[in-house]
Amino acid sequence: MKKTILVFAALLLAGCGNVTEVGAERGKQVFRTCAPCHGVDGGGMEATGAPSIAGQEQWYIESQLVKFRDGARGDHPDDVEGLRMRPMARSLRTHAGDVESVAEYVSSMPLQAPDHTLGGDAAAGAARFALCVACHGPDGKGNQAMNAPSLTDKDDWYLARQIEKFKSGIRGADPLDASGATMVPMAMTLPDDKAVADVLAHIATLK
Amino acid sequence: MIEQFVEAGSTYARNIDNVILLIGVLVGFWWALSTGVFFGLILKYRAKPGVRAKYVPGTSKVEKKFINIPHGLVLVCDVLVIIAAVQVWVHVKQTLPEPDYEIRIIGQQWAWTFQHPGADGELDTDDDIRLVDELHIEVDKNYVFHLEATDVMHSFSVPIFRLKQDAIPGRTITGWFNATITGEYDIQCAEMCGIGHGVMGARIHIERGEQHAAWVADQTPTVATVDAQ
Repeated sequence: MKKTILVFAALLLAGCGNVTEVGAERGKQVFRTCAPCHGVDGGGMEATGAPSIAGQEQWYIESQLVKFRDGARGDHPDDVEGLRMRPMARSLRTHAGDVESVAEYVSSMPLQAPDHTLGGDAAAGAARFALCVACHGPDGKGNQAMNAPSLTDKDDWYLARQIEKFKSGIRGADPLDASGATMVPMAMTLPDDKAVADVLAHIATLK
Repeated sequence: MIEQFVEAGSTYARNIDNVILLIGVLVGFWWALSTGVFFGLILKYRAKPGVRAKYVPGTSKVEKKFINIPHGLVLVCDVLVIIAAVQVWVHVKQTLPEPDYEIRIIGQQWAWTFQHPGADGELDTDDDIRLVDELHIEVDKNYVFHLEATDVMHSFSVPIFRLKQDAIPGRTITGWFNATITGEYDIQCAEMCGIGHGVMGARIHIERGEQHAAWVADQTPTVATVDAQ
């Protein structure tokens, strides 16, 4: 009887403790919430609008989680995918350090080959890409100093949707999203779906 | 009685509370009585030395009274509950008051979008105010809402109003409320709608007339600017 009481007391005390760890191991636990949409390998699912995230830059994942959490992104009534992501990022508020932990874990996952689904003319896209080079670099690998993420590891359908969102004011219009706002005029230079597909076809050729 | 424990914020919240109270009292009474009789009989006819157990089939007239009288009384209670519930149902769900304002509520994974009328007081005009997870209303006004869902089933639930209404993709469901208190309260989704269901919360801001008018005036130009982009 005494033993049983001790076991119950130990279990109760274990339940009362705060989760204090921060880092990839904690991030792995948190990622279980992400897996239903982004996939257990972080490879994304077009059907749910959840992009591939595995192996991408930690600083970028972290910055986007903070934007979703704080309402700088995913807060527009027409942002279907963003509104799904927003409450998930907000749920990371309950434990300090979870944003950093899950970003660290996701970044440590093996990079998944991005989807190339749109076709497009890579040669025509190369000319249009000249404008992107200033921030994303000639190899499309991004530049943290410019808050410009790598483009080569992202699904083309995801990039196309984001360009459309920048153009329509769904993304980048929030006063809190300063770096997103810089993308708005850039996205405007792509006048139609073909131009978007072309530039994304060029990005797919970058190594 | 319930008002001492649970705050109510709409004109019909107490009607719903009273039906719940009526059901609680009736069920509680019958539960207490039947449990008392049950344990009383167990105690009275417990095993005693020299007394053999006896099989009671319950077919005699006296024994049947133990079933028939409570059965009849429970049916009377059922009728009372039905009368009270139907009255509340007709008032809350079947009667649409003349609206002071109309709003559109859209449920989607995992957020609520609220389309408020702008300064012109009319819905579906250019100055409408669309907000995510934030509903602003004026106290003591009839609001008629048009509830939609874009992906899966949701349920628009405002506990302070005792309001809960399913939102079904493809349908526009109309309902109403009239807030009686000011303040900020919870809105939740009450229909399992996916992994983010538990964090699909929003807030309702119930404001006095002048406060609400100031909020509308403040929001309208902002929205017009966003729309212009």
